[in-house]
Amino acid sequence: MTPFQFLISGWTWNAKTMVLGALSLIAYWLAFHDRRRIGWFAAALGVAFLTLMSPINTLADGYLFSAHMLQHILLLLVVPALLLLSLPESVSLAVRPRFFGHPIWGWVAGVGAMWFWHAPAMCNAAVSSAPVHALQTGSLVVLGGLFWRQILAPRDEERLPPPGAVIYLFSACVTCSVLGIIITFSPVAVCSIYTMPPADHLALLAAIRSGWGITLEKDQQIGGLLMWVPMCLIYLSAIFAQMARWFADSKTPIPTKI
Amino acid sequence: MNEITTVLARTGLLTAVQREHWKMAWLSTVDHKRIGILYMVTALVFFIVGGVEALLIRLQLAVPDNTFLHPDTYNMLFTMHGTTMIFLVAMPVLFGLANFILPLQIGARDMAFPRLNAFSFWLVPLGGILLHFSFLAGGAPAVGWFAYAPLSETPYSSQLGVDYWALALLVLGIGSVGTSINFIVTVLTQRTPNMTLRRLPLFSWMMFVNSFLVILALPILNAGLVMLLIDRRLDTHFFLPPGGGSAVIWQHIFWAFGHPEVYIVAVPAFGILSEIIPVFSRKPIFGYEFVAGSTVAIVFLSLLVWAHHMFTMGLGHTVDLFFVASSMLIAIPTGVKVLAWSATMLGGRIRLDTPMLFCVAALIQFLVAGLTGISHAVAALDWQTKNSYYLVAHFHFVFVGLIVFAVLGSLHYWYPKMSGRMLSERLGKWTFWLMTIGFNLTFVIQHFLGLAGMPRRVYTYPNLPGWGWMNMVSTIGAFFMAAAGLIFVWNLGSSLLRGKRAGDNPWNAWTLEWAATSPPPHENFHELPPIRSRRPLWDATNPDRPDPMVGTKWQAEIVVPEKNEAGVIAFICSETGFFAVLILAYLYYNARPQPGPGAQDLSLLKTGCFSLCLFASSFTIWRSEVNLRRGRQPAMVGWLAVTILLGGIFIIGQAIEYRGLYQSGVGVSSNLFATTFFTLTGFHGLHVCIGLILLLILLGLACAGDFKNGRSPALKAVGLYWHFVDIVWVFVFSVVYLLPRLL
Repeated sequence: MTPFQFLISGWTWNAKTMVLGALSLIAYWLAFHDRRRIGWFAAALGVAFLTLMSPINTLADGYLFSAHMLQHILLLLVVPALLLLSLPESVSLAVRPRFFGHPIWGWVAGVGAMWFWHAPAMCNAAVSSAPVHALQTGSLVVLGGLFWRQILAPRDEERLPPPGAVIYLFSACVTCSVLGIIITFSPVAVCSIYTMPPADHLALLAAIRSGWGITLEKDQQIGGLLMWVPMCLIYLSAIFAQMARWFADSKTPIPTKI
Repeated sequence: MNEITTVLARTGLLTAVQREHWKMAWLSTVDHKRIGILYMVTALVFFIVGGVEALLIRLQLAVPDNTFLHPDTYNMLFTMHGTTMIFLVAMPVLFGLANFILPLQIGARDMAFPRLNAFSFWLVPLGGILLHFSFLAGGAPAVGWFAYAPLSETPYSSQLGVDYWALALLVLGIGSVGTSINFIVTVLTQRTPNMTLRRLPLFSWMMFVNSFLVILALPILNAGLVMLLIDRRLDTHFFLPPGGGSAVIWQHIFWAFGHPEVYIVAVPAFGILSEIIPVFSRKPIFGYEFVAGSTVAIVFLSLLVWAHHMFTMGLGHTVDLFFVASSMLIAIPTGVKVLAWSATMLGGRIRLDTPMLFCVAALIQFLVAGLTGISHAVAALDWQTKNSYYLVAHFHFVFVGLIVFAVLGSLHYWYPKMSGRMLSERLGKWTFWLMTIGFNLTFVIQHFLGLAGMPRRVYTYPNLPGWGWMNMVSTIGAFFMAAAGLIFVWNLGSSLLRGKRAGDNPWNAWTLEWAATSPPPHENFHELPPIRSRRPLWDATNPDRPDPMVGTKWQAEIVVPEKNEAGVIAFICSETGFFAVLILAYLYYNARPQPGPGAQDLSLLKTGCFSLCLFASSFTIWRSEVNLRRGRQPAMVGWLAVTILLGGIFIIGQAIEYRGLYQSGVGVSSNLFATTFFTLTGFHGLHVCIGLILLLILLGLACAGDFKNGRSPALKAVGLYWHFVDIVWVFVFSVVYLLPRLL
């Protein structure tokens, strides 16, 4: 199978999920009537759709660890961020009691989700069992939301101030990088289920291994590298945004007195 | 008066007169200005050493098939040249400059920790002496400044040179971390109240951001050096493939430090350019926000892309691809800077005095360095040019073309502030032109030499077409630079004696250091001008058209943390990097079971028990702090004693475990499990011991009644450190004892 043929045929249409997506879009409109931000919401749905139904999902289903990793990154870092951006300022995400609103919990949620779901046992379980997989998908979005809430909460006062946010993002990036480095250079398989031949109902395995040249080791390397480099670039973009926020109002009109 | 003298003499303290004697004034100083000058003088001495080494190298390479130097001597010289120039010249001179300028720029009285500052400085001569002592101890290291394993291991370098090299770098690394913690805490806690973080002059801002890079990157090297030393002295195999080790891991560790290191010395140079170019263009910097923000991006990216130093090592296409892409990204924030400096000059009334000349040349040469840098980010091109003189030319364009030029510019710029006298402008121009001509003669042609195929790190070469004359041109250029250096040193000396009086602000600059007298008095400022923008002196001299005020929006801009706490937190960040490398090394080397002792030989139960003691001690020291706050002195002392007891039990437990292992024949060199186990737990144990010593000192002070007022930053700081030691053990315990049983 050529990559092009696969891109055409690799879609998994899931009616239930699509109806759910359409309904949530209508619900968003009914709830907020926010013409400016519905684009973010649609983008979040679009990314979720790509993650769960496009060929990425087909590949992640027993074929490629790296596709699985790509799903994780999109679900943990992209979808929740877009969802938070779609919320109008009228929505408060303040957490009570304040103890649970402490940034450390958001940080642990975001970083912990990555480490937890890449422990070999959890990674294997998520690929082999449908309920665990569903739990994983849901939890990544929720935990990602908890992580991004500190940065992208709709109300400015509920966000971290820029220096704190930079440290928050930077330390999260480094911690995820460490995991990416471990996966990239690990001499043993991290998610061993991908080393077993999958059911291969699409007769895809031969194309992947010899046609595309993605061997088992390469697959794991790509997975680790996705986490190490592009994932960090997402954090980096957020750090840029924080620097912009930090320096933004320096052109304030001159007050008369110091 | 006599009474005071006798009292001082009895207690061994010095009188004011004795204190002012030059030896005491300079050797025992804790004044940031004097320490800064000491740093720079030390750097100058080593610059001459490293420069002479470079000249010898160039003499050897001047003609084909030369026999001027023995191959071994050549290897030693280029190793020492690289190591000296980076660790004993570039870093000390920039730290020294920042030491002098940074507190003045932020209106501070001194650095946050003056004694730590002196300690950090004195480690530089110590490291330099250790490194050069190797010449007397059987030969200098001859393994390159990167000391690639296995060449740097005992079977291939049996002399003591590499050991001295590693020890020296360890000492220098500790000093650099110390001084960078000091910079961070100084900027956070010693600013004059109106100097909000968003009003920081760019040089101070960049030193501040850069210091984070130092405290994160240096410990990675320190961990690698420790592993190398253990390999060499204790006969282990971290980096020796025959014993199961991996030479590639050394490269990863070295470049995970080595790439950020480039920025550690480049970012302060960016800071210098950002100060001098606006002053001599008579315009504020174009896009302060972009210059400041892109620094953060550079620092961040530099930690991510080290693998591009290893394209030729054979990481595989997959890894190469990712690092090609991410390395190219660095061109964006550096490009932003180059554009901002150019735009600052555009339409300005440019004054081409010596500092500005150096900065303009640095800007142009850095642009060339950046372009060849991008060409190295392309893996396919990199394979062709990495081990040739093309790369030598590239990094000398960064280190000399940018950094040395910026430093020379900065010394011409700030010398009046340091000495009270101007450097001779005539000699300065001579220095500049000789330096620029010499530099470009030496290194432009090396690009072509490299493309013509001349490999680097060779002591001589055959007479191939073009190689001979190109090398000769390069050597002639090197002597031009040497002449420039001599004139510069002469200028420094003669201007100190006979230079024109400078006055407070000879360049009509705008940042706070120019509000102090030249040289500044011991206490720096008697009075500060009002600060409401980034150019307080402009506002003071142009009250009719001041800069727009930089408002204060964030609490974080003005918040001043407790300095001891901030210092310990910065130190903990640094230590985290060190332990992270050791833990990752443990994971890597133990991913596959190996013959000999393994995790199954450890007793989970016994270790679990004394680990509980350590974890409990985190609770007890917290109770001690609480009791101190509530003014319950005896309870505080009691909890402190319990903490020490629990920590002691942990150490004794670990000693018993070690003894058991030794008795069953498990030594540090048994296999890689034993090596990584003893290294990781040993270094943790060392940290526990240091914590115990600190706690004992606190206990002594508490018993003597020192903390009666209910506040003690010392207890808080030591408490933080102690919690950190405990948390590290959580990870070590999980990785070493629990993980093998779970998998």
